Amino acid sequence: MSQVSISERAAASGEMPVARSPYFVRKKKGITPRTVAILAFLTICALFFCVPLYVVVVTSFKTMDQIREGAIFSLPHIWTLEAWDHAWNRACSGIKCDGLKVGFWNSVFILFPSLILSISLAMVTGFALALWNVRWAGAFLFLLFICAFVPFQIIMYPLIVMTTTTKIYGTLWAVAVIHAVLAMPVLTLIFRNYYKDIPTEIMSAAMMDSGSFWRIFFEIIVPMSGNILIVVLILQITSIWNDYLIGVTFGGLTGQPMTVNLANLITISTGTTNYAHNMAAALLTAIPPLVVYFLVGKLFVQGVTAGAIKG
Amino acid sequence: MRWSRIAPQLALTPALAVTAVAFIGSIGWTIYLSFTRSRRLPEYGIDWSEWGRQYDRLFRDAGWEISLRNLIVLGLGSALAIVFGFVLAAMIDKEKRGESLFRTVFLYPLAVSLIVTGAAWRWILNPTLGAQSFLRGLGWHVDFNWLAQGDTAMYAIILASVWQSAGFYMALMLAGLKGINSEIWSAAKLDGVPLWRVYLEIIIPMMKFTFITCAILLSLGVIKAYDVVVAMTNGGPGQSTWVPAYFTINALSAKSNLGYASAAAVMMLAITFVVFIPLVALTVWQQRKREAS
Repeated sequence: MSQVSISERAAASGEMPVARSPYFVRKKKGITPRTVAILAFLTICALFFCVPLYVVVVTSFKTMDQIREGAIFSLPHIWTLEAWDHAWNRACSGIKCDGLKVGFWNSVFILFPSLILSISLAMVTGFALALWNVRWAGAFLFLLFICAFVPFQIIMYPLIVMTTTTKIYGTLWAVAVIHAVLAMPVLTLIFRNYYKDIPTEIMSAAMMDSGSFWRIFFEIIVPMSGNILIVVLILQITSIWNDYLIGVTFGGLTGQPMTVNLANLITISTGTTNYAHNMAAALLTAIPPLVVYFLVGKLFVQGVTAGAIKG
Repeated sequence: MRWSRIAPQLALTPALAVTAVAFIGSIGWTIYLSFTRSRRLPEYGIDWSEWGRQYDRLFRDAGWEISLRNLIVLGLGSALAIVFGFVLAAMIDKEKRGESLFRTVFLYPLAVSLIVTGAAWRWILNPTLGAQSFLRGLGWHVDFNWLAQGDTAMYAIILASVWQSAGFYMALMLAGLKGINSEIWSAAKLDGVPLWRVYLEIIIPMMKFTFITCAILLSLGVIKAYDVVVAMTNGGPGQSTWVPAYFTINALSAKSNLGYASAAAVMMLAITFVVFIPLVALTVWQQRKREAS
């Protein structure tokens, strides 16, 4: 009897009980005590994860008078944009008090050249290593793998010297180029892994057709790279925007990205710290990557996972 | 035909040049400098009678010892992110309700810069205006003044880094859990094995690969930890939250001692390889085994 009913159900649903049938065959009964316990625990954890964001947001709208009362979790009595205005236009970073807008535009001007440079270099290299029989490709890939692990400090001073001799030290270009250089190994490995799955038939057909390295690259490979490009873009946008160390090391005084301004703001405090200003500045710095995250959440996971070794 | 052989090689030259100059060459350069007496400016003569002087000084430096100790503390503390990530992933995977909402909430800190993370937690941990005063106002006598005390400041850094990265490990674990054949669950259920034993004796061993990956990523992050230290404590109070990454950059920028900073950087590289070679070898071995079966 039960035998029949199982096979009937399988036939009716059009699938045999294969791989991904969930463990508790989704008892439609509804809510068990365990469900409640799990959901309660997850909700508490989720609230804990939201606390910093909540605190930062509400603080940024408060007046300093209210902050001095010490009720960090309360909503603003008076909602004010004063802190936002101050952080954007007048906050001091070092000796200058031009606000975070300077750093914001610096970050933007670092981001774009760096994205173009790093992604184009890694795409071409990954393509050449994956699909053209370069004899030492294996050795080179191994080297890249090692380079991906190397801590930045070990190459920091030589890179400072190189950027100084090429006269780009202390400019946005230095920060952008160093980002591209440091990302090269990981991005190349990502592209190479993606391209090596391209069927050899496609490649041999393309070779018969024209055989030119660059034509194949631009007419076949680039159009096929959509998915991986998005993943790499997410990875690079977040890591370049959120970087502090490279910006502070190579940006000098004029090429500092937004994170460096923010760090100056929160670490160098003269007199009483205005937390509303600091939190507004923190939020301004966090908004661009958060927007990327909420727009492409699912791909974001792929992005950070793919490039995770970049740390 | 000949062109087709030259073109890819030509296309590879920029990447080769970057690898040779910016990575291999620079590593060699720094290693060389670590044996010199370079201070503010590089000196390229090596005094062979005392070539190891920078390392001698380094190992006798209390700041370096603190840095190493903090590295271990930070490593162990941050490992909580993996544990926490696994627990969250297991619960989300078990109870499919609200999966995407929870995933979104747990992962968002990863999108935020560690400087921002530091700024936020620094504010929450502010003893007079932050969470401590709030909770005391509610009548709970808690002590959250971690940042101002040398022996607890490291906990604050751990708290911030766990908050930032736990969602990431959750995402990796969730992917690992989804890869597990559901028949295992049914079989275990039929046998009446309690759920916690299923996890401990079947699921976790099956996810070895995911755990090793997480361990690699975690240790990499710990060795590189710099931003979060700057944002939370800037190394203080005193030297209590120094880590090797901070020590090295401090030796170069604040002390402007190039030879010393180079020696510390070489030690960082050594630590990286000591941690990674076994872990990476283990991963490769696991992968081979998996492919073979």
